[in-house]
Amino acid sequence: MTKWLVLFRKEWLEMVRSHRTLWLPASFILLGASQPVTTFFMPDILANASNLPEGAVLQFPTPEPFEVLASALSQFGVIGLLLVALSSMGILSGERSAGTAAMILVKPVSYASFVTAKWAAAVLLAIVSFAVGYGAAWYYTGALFEPVGWREVGASALLYALWLTLVSTLTLLFSSLLRSAAAAAFSSLAVAVLLSVAAGSLPFEQSWNPGRLSTLAASSLNAAARPLGGGIGSVWLTAAVTAAVIAAALLVAIRSMKRRPSEA
Amino acid sequence: MALLTVDQLTKRFERETAVDGIGFAIGEGRCVALLGPNGAGKTTTIRMLTGLLPPTSGTIRFEGMKPGQDRREWIGYLPQTPAFYGWMTGREFLVYAGQLCGLSAKEAASRADMLLKRVGIDTAGKRRIAGYSGGMKQRLGLAQALIHRPKLLVLDEPVSALDPIGRREVMTLLGELKSETTVLFSTHVLHDAEELCDDILILSKGRLATGGSLSDIREANRQPVLSLETEGDLRSREWLAGWLKRLPDGLEAASATETGVRLFAGDLETARRSVLRELADNAADVRVSKLEIGYTTLEDLFLKAVSGS
Amino acid sequence: MDHLTNTQLISLIVPLAILQAILMITALVVLVKAERTRGPKWLWALIIVFFSLFGSISFFLFGRRLN
Repeated sequence: MTKWLVLFRKEWLEMVRSHRTLWLPASFILLGASQPVTTFFMPDILANASNLPEGAVLQFPTPEPFEVLASALSQFGVIGLLLVALSSMGILSGERSAGTAAMILVKPVSYASFVTAKWAAAVLLAIVSFAVGYGAAWYYTGALFEPVGWREVGASALLYALWLTLVSTLTLLFSSLLRSAAAAAFSSLAVAVLLSVAAGSLPFEQSWNPGRLSTLAASSLNAAARPLGGGIGSVWLTAAVTAAVIAAALLVAIRSMKRRPSEA
Repeated sequence: MALLTVDQLTKRFERETAVDGIGFAIGEGRCVALLGPNGAGKTTTIRMLTGLLPPTSGTIRFEGMKPGQDRREWIGYLPQTPAFYGWMTGREFLVYAGQLCGLSAKEAASRADMLLKRVGIDTAGKRRIAGYSGGMKQRLGLAQALIHRPKLLVLDEPVSALDPIGRREVMTLLGELKSETTVLFSTHVLHDAEELCDDILILSKGRLATGGSLSDIREANRQPVLSLETEGDLRSREWLAGWLKRLPDGLEAASATETGVRLFAGDLETARRSVLRELADNAADVRVSKLEIGYTTLEDLFLKAVSGS
Repeated sequence: MDHLTNTQLISLIVPLAILQAILMITALVVLVKAERTRGPKWLWALIIVFFSLFGSISFFLFGRRLN
């Protein structure tokens, strides 16, 4: 356990020294806040930009506050996921090809600790970044539109954090399997997209599909839309399946490092 | 007493057998060279010892290790080209390595300071490793291998990537270290092995060609050898070619060129007499430029072992 | 815009601008101090300044060569 903490601290220190602990949360805050802000100013922007005939009156329906927050989530779903995947795409392959993994793994350290400490640090930063970003979106939505209840926001944040953890874990998994960091980022994003698309388009019941999580998070913002799709039991099922997938991905990553701790 | 016993160690990759059933023992306190040309299986053997590569078959056993204990606790390893986190300082890396070996933070810090001084980079300890030279990284690599006072220090080609000055410095350092712990290091340079080691293991094509203490091997393989050079003019060459065809008993050509020959002899005195007689008989034809009569060196043995098997 | 004064609006927007500026300045400082970058430094400086948020992020992600 002490060794695990030593490994974890090293990962965190590396993220601090490379300024990832600054730019990733900052990006999420700016992304999250920009959604309510641009929505708020959209009528002015459009009015100034378009050459409307004299006297024309633009009518915009003011969006519901939960819709603004949901659009912040969909922003995270594209750019946020991209940032999370890109920032940790070389998490294992980089150490393997540089030879640092071999330097560490000849010390009496378990492979499981080596992999899970890295995973925990990457996931923690992703979740913290998302939390502050979503917090910013929530605050700005409340200030510029109407406040959204903390229960709804909390539930959606938990669901979304689980989704983010899954994507982060997939990036780590592919980073252990593939030599190229870019390929690892691409693969994890592709899997995330496939799961989401399948959840949204296939015509049968998919309580098991973790790709449902982002939609569930968005719809749980709307207090009127409760109970959530399929009921609370099916949400638990989705969460359980996601947790199982995460655990399995970690096991595979550990095995992959055991089998091939260095490139040569 | 043997610290480490390796038995029937084998590593097969998809297409080739890199290490083929080798067995040896390393005595406590000895300095052992794993010697062999590139591709002989030295690195594969070392990677199996350090646990980086699972053996296909065979056993690796440390004397006095509790059952279930992690072998890596006893091994300090310096790979051929040590890799570090460039964003860490040298001292930070040593403390990190020490803590991963189970030292407390305080103990790791004091060991780190001690070792930085020991390997002569204490002034660079607070600088980022990214700015270190190759020689400094090699020294830091040695320091991190020693951080937990390993019973066995394993070094993979520790000097082959260094320039002559760095090489000399690291060799001197190793000379000092070998009195403190058991050392196994691989090299393809016989001279380095002779300079530092008590024992040698010669690997060739994945097999152990020969092994034992340096003096025993030297003694056991001491064979009279004659080496003769001519000026290489036509008549000398003709004589040489002819003579090689009718060599007397007890002489055997080890290697021959157009102008000279190296001969193994059964008995030195007989050989000396017969060669001198031959030369005297042909004094008009043969222009000898050099005649050396002595014993085989380890170099001969190394070349024979490496090419023979 | 009905229920908010301009002062209130500014006090909401300014923190975001400051955060963005911090990010950009950090990126520029790291760029100047970096020993090696992928691609010329002046190009990265332009990218960081003109593409604000995404310029800084791409520099942090792709611009540096560690070790």
